[in-house]
Amino acid sequence: MNRGLNRYAILVACATFFLIIAGALVTSNDAGLATPDWPLSNGQVFPKMVGNLFWEHGHRMVATTVGMLTIVLAFYIYKKEKRDWVRKLGLFALLAVIAQGLLGGLTVKLMLPLAVSTAHATLAQLFFCTTVSLAVFTSRSWMDARPLQEEKGTLPLRYLCTAALVTIFLQLIIGATLRHSATWDQHLPAELILAHIGGAFAVTIALGSASVTTLRRYKDEKFLTRPAMVALSFLAVQLFLGVAAYMTRLASPGDPQPLNPMIAITVAHVACGALVFVSTIVLTLRTYRVFPATRHSVQSSSFSLSASKSSLKAEL
Amino acid sequence: MNKQTKVWLVISIALSLLALGSACGGARGPETNKNGGEATSATAAPPSGPTGTISGVISYNGTPPAPKKIDTTADPVCGQKNPNLTTDDTIVKDGKLANVFVYIKEGTVDGGKKVAEYTWPTPTNAVQLDQNGCHYAPHVMGVMVNQKLSITNSDATQHNIHPTPKLNQEWNQTQANGAPPIEKSFARAEVLIPVKCNQHPWMKAYIGVMKHPLFAVSSDTGAYEIKNVPPGKYTVVAWREGQTPEEKPMEVTVTANGAAKADFAFGGAATTSIAPSLKMMPAIEFPMIGKH
Repeated sequence: MNRGLNRYAILVACATFFLIIAGALVTSNDAGLATPDWPLSNGQVFPKMVGNLFWEHGHRMVATTVGMLTIVLAFYIYKKEKRDWVRKLGLFALLAVIAQGLLGGLTVKLMLPLAVSTAHATLAQLFFCTTVSLAVFTSRSWMDARPLQEEKGTLPLRYLCTAALVTIFLQLIIGATLRHSATWDQHLPAELILAHIGGAFAVTIALGSASVTTLRRYKDEKFLTRPAMVALSFLAVQLFLGVAAYMTRLASPGDPQPLNPMIAITVAHVACGALVFVSTIVLTLRTYRVFPATRHSVQSSSFSLSASKSSLKAEL
Repeated sequence: MNKQTKVWLVISIALSLLALGSACGGARGPETNKNGGEATSATAAPPSGPTGTISGVISYNGTPPAPKKIDTTADPVCGQKNPNLTTDDTIVKDGKLANVFVYIKEGTVDGGKKVAEYTWPTPTNAVQLDQNGCHYAPHVMGVMVNQKLSITNSDATQHNIHPTPKLNQEWNQTQANGAPPIEKSFARAEVLIPVKCNQHPWMKAYIGVMKHPLFAVSSDTGAYEIKNVPPGKYTVVAWREGQTPEEKPMEVTVTANGAAKADFAFGGAATTSIAPSLKMMPAIEFPMIGKH
């Protein structure tokens, strides 16, 4: 394990989270078209950041920083990481951040078409997922983890977690579509609101089942219970934020401009949604780490903590 | 990747595409409902001879909503120039409502031809839209199809002008302080195009684009007058902005050198009063595409 690489991956993941907040601020302030050009802002590298240009150009500056950090991360992984699949994931992160930048430019040039804006918001979550995954894969806890006995219960935990993960991802897409389907001074489409509320129920059931199952079946395995607890906590906060965001957004069309309570709560809802997603990713990845994919592989596996460490040393 | 994981992935991608597809499926409305004129080919020159006028007053019943203060701290220039900036969506003075766009939607000119069958010459003068004190002036305006719209910036800060039409080409252009006027036009009739500034989200204006010059906007006294109306029978519509814009139609008969009256009323328990020679049409609900 390379501690420097892991710390750097955590830094990139944190920067990506900050970027998601910056992007959400652009949407909530209706600042996406504060400048009609891209990559420059009003023909300048550093324009005067007044009005909504503060949010849009600020988002571009943070995005540029994250892009640079990701280039370094990919290079860092390439140099230090021996596991081929992690190196590939590093390359994927680089490609994803490039695609994300291009999508951001495209959404400005095409004046925020719903499909492109939604794709931009969705890819942001996937990129965040990738950086968090890299942080997980390069962590000591991942390296030190030892496979557990075969899964307890009839329904494998890793399937429950995967189901929760997919449900959350779909909910994120619906949320992104909902968010970009109307500006602050327009009413949100009722069918998308209903879909998002339905998605919230589905996520609550799926993630609740996965987390509670984790906590009940493997209460002594902190490797699993920690992300399960974190995901469950974020889910609770997220449901509260969802209701609050709905209330403030409902009143927003009657406001003279995007007001701070609506902006703060909707942005917090987006950010917390991202945290629910990545904490579930951590839980899911860890279940796949400790539970072999098949019973056969459990039986044939001769993993032990020491064996794992020795093979790790050999790998690195 | 095992088989079940693959299945989940395929389901997730398929549902994502479905969600995107359903969200992007909104179609544009037919032009005939938005352009203030029927969808017939216009070839004939407008009729010569004596014309009449349609005039009236727009009233507001009930207590109008108080203007809301706008927070301009995001751009200090706005606050310095216009420290008491408020919303201007409902300007009521002595019960009279300003900024109502009144236009002839359809009708038959004496002689049998429809209004839309005439080709009205495009005025050579440009209509002005100024950005002053981080506020659009005028707030509601009308232009004819292909008539020049000249947009000026009288502020010491930059704006961007972003009309969001449904039938015309959307555009978004920055105008720095001191920059020359931006000249644009709209190729298709549309009632009404919202215009916003993405730098200052409170800035809003509305532009009615018409195939004919038979329109007017109510003044601060609520009065309006449509001049040079050929004698005939028309449906006159009063349009007022809002989260769901309101439209009130009225049947009006114009005689040569005559002065038809058509008063409209908006607000709580609003009714529309008409002159004895005029008939009021029942209210028509216009479905707002993309709004719920």
